[in-house]
Amino acid sequence: MTVLEGGKISGRQFMSVLVVLRIVPLTLVFSLINSIAHVQDTWITVIIGTVIAIPIAVLITKLSLRFPGKTIIEYSQSLLGPVMGKLLGLLILWCFLCTSIDITRGLGEAYVIAIMPETPILVFMSMLIFISCYAARSGLEVICRLGEDVFYIVVFVLLLTYVLPYTAMRFENLRPILAWGASNLVPPVIANLGYYSQFLIIGMLVPYLNKPEDATRYAVYAVLISGALMVLAAVALVAVFGTTASSWTLPLFSLARMISLGDFFERIEAGVMAAWTVSTGIKLALFLWAASVAVAQLFNLKAFRHLLYPLGTITVAASLFFFESMVELEDYLAKAGAMVSILVAGVTLLLLYAALGIRMAIHRRKGGAG
Amino acid sequence: MALGMLSKALRRLLSRQRTDVAGKGQCASSPDAVLSKRLRENEALIRDAFGNSPDLIVREIRFGVSPGIAVLVVHIDGLVNTALVSEGIIKPIGIISEILESERLPLAQVQDMLKNRLILLSDAKQVSDKAGFLNDIAAGKCGIIVDGSSEAFVCDVRGFEKRGVEEPQSEVVIRGSREGFSETLRVNTSLLRRRIRDPRLWIEEFTVGRVSHTQVAITYIKGIADDKVVQEVRDRITRIDVDSIQESGELEEYIEDEPLSPFPTILRTERPDRVAGALFEGRIAILTDGTPFVLIAPATFLMFLTSPEDYYERFFIASAVRLLRFVSFFIALLLPALYVAVTTFHQEMLPTSLVLAIAAQREGVPFPAVFEALLMEVAFEILREAAVRLPKIYGPAISIVGVLILGEAAVRAGLVSSAMIIVVALTAIASFVTPIFSLSIAVRLLRFPIILLAGTLGLFGVVFGMSGAAIHLSSLRSFGVPFLEPIAPVVLSDLKDALIRLPWWAMDTRPKFTGENDPRRESRGLMPAVPNPQADGTLGAKGKKGPR
Repeated sequence: MTVLEGGKISGRQFMSVLVVLRIVPLTLVFSLINSIAHVQDTWITVIIGTVIAIPIAVLITKLSLRFPGKTIIEYSQSLLGPVMGKLLGLLILWCFLCTSIDITRGLGEAYVIAIMPETPILVFMSMLIFISCYAARSGLEVICRLGEDVFYIVVFVLLLTYVLPYTAMRFENLRPILAWGASNLVPPVIANLGYYSQFLIIGMLVPYLNKPEDATRYAVYAVLISGALMVLAAVALVAVFGTTASSWTLPLFSLARMISLGDFFERIEAGVMAAWTVSTGIKLALFLWAASVAVAQLFNLKAFRHLLYPLGTITVAASLFFFESMVELEDYLAKAGAMVSILVAGVTLLLLYAALGIRMAIHRRKGGAG
Repeated sequence: MALGMLSKALRRLLSRQRTDVAGKGQCASSPDAVLSKRLRENEALIRDAFGNSPDLIVREIRFGVSPGIAVLVVHIDGLVNTALVSEGIIKPIGIISEILESERLPLAQVQDMLKNRLILLSDAKQVSDKAGFLNDIAAGKCGIIVDGSSEAFVCDVRGFEKRGVEEPQSEVVIRGSREGFSETLRVNTSLLRRRIRDPRLWIEEFTVGRVSHTQVAITYIKGIADDKVVQEVRDRITRIDVDSIQESGELEEYIEDEPLSPFPTILRTERPDRVAGALFEGRIAILTDGTPFVLIAPATFLMFLTSPEDYYERFFIASAVRLLRFVSFFIALLLPALYVAVTTFHQEMLPTSLVLAIAAQREGVPFPAVFEALLMEVAFEILREAAVRLPKIYGPAISIVGVLILGEAAVRAGLVSSAMIIVVALTAIASFVTPIFSLSIAVRLLRFPIILLAGTLGLFGVVFGMSGAAIHLSSLRSFGVPFLEPIAPVVLSDLKDALIRLPWWAMDTRPKFTGENDPRRESRGLMPAVPNPQADGTLGAKGKKGPR
């Protein structure tokens, strides 16, 4: 078995990229706000989502730790056998590619809507893919090194964005709480979990950790940190915009536009946009890297780097054709997309754990007999 | 990004040529490689080899009763210390000659006597290898051949004109040593020895260049530097098979990790204190004869933005200055691009009054902002290059032309807006802040593509270009050390000497990647505290602190 990727990443880098990949959709904040009828309850749904996400992350990590040095693509083949394993691998690969497609389109739309309406969206998307492929080509180490820096930048920028519009915040906007019954919370929680199922990528990252024993801890930290950032986002957005929060196309960007301190510290939305762009680039690089490593491992190729630009090209084309508009993209992500990714993650985990359980049972019986 | 792909393609092209050069190298060991026993033949050989150059001095001395024994003294005029030659070589020969007047001795004994007398000179050795002998002569040693023997003596009587130790030109500091390296390798190693007076300062010498025979020395502190890295440096230097090395910049291109990057991954410096500091961090210095520029490897990006002065000034000030330097670095890289992006695409980001002012200035300007920026940047680069080349006497003329014509008149004529002049001037000044020139020229080069990106895609273009540069930089390594360490990957313990500098008593460990062998560099608790006046306290602040 040839070594495809020789890099090693640290626990902090692992956590950073996980946080980055979870909060990148905040660029657009679809699921957070749009799918909910009553915005006042958004923060509750985020908390519920985060709490449910912790066991998901732990399950994926623990499973990967049982197969040191193997990615989820490799050990699903050793657990389920070559045919079923490869089928499941293809499913995971498809999931990675779908994520890449969604975020590529999302960033392109954000630029066209917010900053440069007259430039064709293809320009932004192809340049983004190009730079992400370049990063992915440099290997996992480079992605994660930059990912850690981007993580610090993003956290800093987000905290500024939450805190600085304090003059416009009306906390009574957050009331009433849970006035419409708990059943209304289900769709947004599902949408939220849809993003967490992207944590399947943990299965690709764990084998490259320099200290695998820390993986679970850092995966949980990642869920908690991203959850906290999103709860704050939900509170800040509703406090500032009230019930209209769900009608903004790019709520967080608009929030940054509200910032004005003493007539000189204002118009920082460009900085926010820049931070989002680089974090999207990191996320995309990570998913393209994972997708090409997955392809290489599925089809027993000796190198994955050559696959990056072709996969990138497919991603650009697909992101153009999959969605008609931003509205469609948001709608898809909040409803069908979320369900699909939960389904993929659920099926993957269920199958793998079932196979693991059966194998352990067989092993134990054999051991008992022998 | 594009660079990466280009580099791959270029490398493939270049590596093809590399293979067939190797192997031609050594051509010395033929059977008649030793000196002849006949003096005439040797003389002819030497004269022939040097093409009868006028600076080749071949003196024949006969001693003993006639016919006596003939001795040839060979050296190159101007490379040897003539006083030393007459004192240390000619005089002993005279003394032996006097002895031989009275008695006849066999050749072997004469040679022995000669050897014993000459040993008084430093570094006298016997050689018989023809090529080695000729190379020694060419390197400035003095050769002595006795008739009838194929063994020659070579003594080091080198003494040539050399520049003294002067203040470095390119890395000036206000506080700190004024010493700079000079062109002579031995002087340079002695400057280092004077700073690190310990046998653990190891120096290894190599000869690089088939024809130039340039002396290259690597120095490191044994026990601190990683042996694997030292071996890697050794391997990379011995791999070089080229006819000539004139400057450490040439050497650098043969040994760096990423040959096709605009960024230098090996630091160069003229300052002995800087080299000594790097050696104590476990790095390795490469000294080349004939240039005051010493290479330091492994280097990190931040080393290019630090000055030795940062370590001598008080740490608050040093940290502030260092931050200022980072800001200047980004100004030098980005300011024109940001100006172009904001004025072309994102006017809403500027305060309204400023937008109006800029718009009013740009009213009559015939070009788009990108073109304006490129025009002025190129004009400035021309000015700067002219300022380096131009004879000092024309200096004032150029500055008048530069200031009046390019600045004032261009604005008046409506060719460029005065805001653009301000931007370009600030950029230019900021680019001089970078302490190491090799990084500042890389920035000068990168500025242009980023301006173009800004002019076509606004801030997205700038972010795109900067991301490309960041990805490229973080994929670089310098002798195994990540180039952007400690920023990417983040190394917490090394952040003490990165964007800011902590006080010396808090910088107790060496950098993680280079100083693993011997991580601690000072004992704990060195932070000075006011002594307790009750304990002994001759120096204590009397009555101010402590219990009464």
